[in-house]
Amino acid sequence: MSDYILEINSVKKSFVRNRVNIRGEGEDERFFILDGLDINIERGKITALIGGNGAGKTTLFNAISGLAKVNSGEILYRKGNKTISIVDLPSYKITRLGIGRMFQDDHIFPDLSVLDNMMLADSDTFGEFPFISILKSSESRRIEKYKIKKVKNVFISLFGKENFFWEKRNEPAKSLSFGQQRLLGLARLFMGDYKLVLLDEPTAGVNPLIINQIINIVRQMVKEKNLTVFLVEHNMEVVLKLTDYCNFMSHGKIAVFGTPEDVIGNDEVRKTYMGI
Amino acid sequence: MNYIFHIVIMINIYIILCVSTNLLVGMTNLLSLGQAAFYGIGAYIAVLSLMILNLPMIPTILLVMIGTAIASLLIAYPSLRLKGDYFVLATLGFQLIFFTILYNWVSVTRGPYGIPGIPSPKLFGIISISGLIPFLILSSIFSVLIVFIFFKLVHSPFGRVLKGIRDDEIAVLSLGRNVTSFKIWAFVISSAFIGIGGFIYATYVSYIDPTSFNLDEAIFILAALLIGGTGNIKGPVVGAVFVVVLPELLRFVGFPDSVAANLRQIVYGLTLIILMRYRPQGLAGDYKLQ
Repeated sequence: MSDYILEINSVKKSFVRNRVNIRGEGEDERFFILDGLDINIERGKITALIGGNGAGKTTLFNAISGLAKVNSGEILYRKGNKTISIVDLPSYKITRLGIGRMFQDDHIFPDLSVLDNMMLADSDTFGEFPFISILKSSESRRIEKYKIKKVKNVFISLFGKENFFWEKRNEPAKSLSFGQQRLLGLARLFMGDYKLVLLDEPTAGVNPLIINQIINIVRQMVKEKNLTVFLVEHNMEVVLKLTDYCNFMSHGKIAVFGTPEDVIGNDEVRKTYMGI
Repeated sequence: MNYIFHIVIMINIYIILCVSTNLLVGMTNLLSLGQAAFYGIGAYIAVLSLMILNLPMIPTILLVMIGTAIASLLIAYPSLRLKGDYFVLATLGFQLIFFTILYNWVSVTRGPYGIPGIPSPKLFGIISISGLIPFLILSSIFSVLIVFIFFKLVHSPFGRVLKGIRDDEIAVLSLGRNVTSFKIWAFVISSAFIGIGGFIYATYVSYIDPTSFNLDEAIFILAALLIGGTGNIKGPVVGAVFVVVLPELLRFVGFPDSVAANLRQIVYGLTLIILMRYRPQGLAGDYKLQ
């Protein structure tokens, strides 16, 4: 029997859109972006989600991470021996359960330094309660030093001993290039205590050199941190190189599931998604 | 010399108001138009404590901080559910309601007549703080202490989360932080310290009326902060000095008395426009308000 870290059953999510009817009048129409979707994510594997623009991939990620409330269905997360329904939990509680997320448009903190971006991602929140750092200054300082050391180690493990990010640690994150910001967003996931990470188009808009770096980092996540990765990706080369399973999403459901080779070779996928 | 002392006391009061408001506006990106109300709540609680309860200075300050914090908590819960412009409108609504209550609840606040003869606070119930020099010392101690506290807060892990919320609220949520709780803390801490400004003002001037805590005052505090700059501690301090000293300097320009007050307002307005155009982060700020 497969060991699933995430089970999504019959999830529905609708939006209301305004359409102009034949008489030229605007009318509201409810449409289901997720229409009874079922998907299982196997622990310790890399699973891809592919599909056309507007297919609902990001909405599904938002539903898993608590940023979008679903109309019906269940989302079950397995942590150790426990099965937890996360469908009604607020976003920050879902993260604390061990589900990390990298967004399509990065969501780094542009005015914070590279170091602060990383430290804010640490799962240890000691000192973040107001005045604790004043009242317990020595303990707070010790933990801050520990976090800085952790950041340094993460950067070394991902980018080598002499790395750009550690050199630029005191610079604001907005001074980094788009690709570097993407790498910082990925590196941030190594600061948290995650079991499952959701990566929304990690290689979109970056050059081949950085795509290779991202592939290596995602592999490192699985091998060294024992993470499960669920990613949305449009680059089929990356899907073939990196993932164990692939899901093709269409009309709010998973239409095709299998190995990346099987899914990419599927006639429906080739015709409706790749246009071949 | 008394004139200089008076200006320094007013600078100290505005440093307290601006540094406290900066935690909300500059650190958390919550633009509030209700800060004059908390300034007023602090002042009226101080009056109640000194005139009716006859409490000494330190219990009065504690009462002011607790009272203002509770009031801000009641406002924070509903208004922080709103985002952006709607939050600004909610704080504006609160500011207007507060002024209307002050103005019309005559049996408690004496309405437009104000409350005269506010007694000087007594340290340990014995040493009376009255006169310019004791108030200069008192206000300076408080302004330095509050600047120090906010400096520590801004550079603490708590401050880092607030700056994160300012930059990207969704990202902070996705890192496992309860954004609403941090916003409430910022609102409550900011208001509690603004209350101290109200205490010093009420006891120094020894007379308060609702017009000292109206929407004009709320905008004035915000303008001072924006002129000085947000996102660090020196910005609000520079802003406080600027808005208190500028009208005093204009007195020496020789404007006719009949138009001097209006000209000062025009100078403030022009300063704001020029700053927003050429230096949106303010005179000494780090952060360009979104």
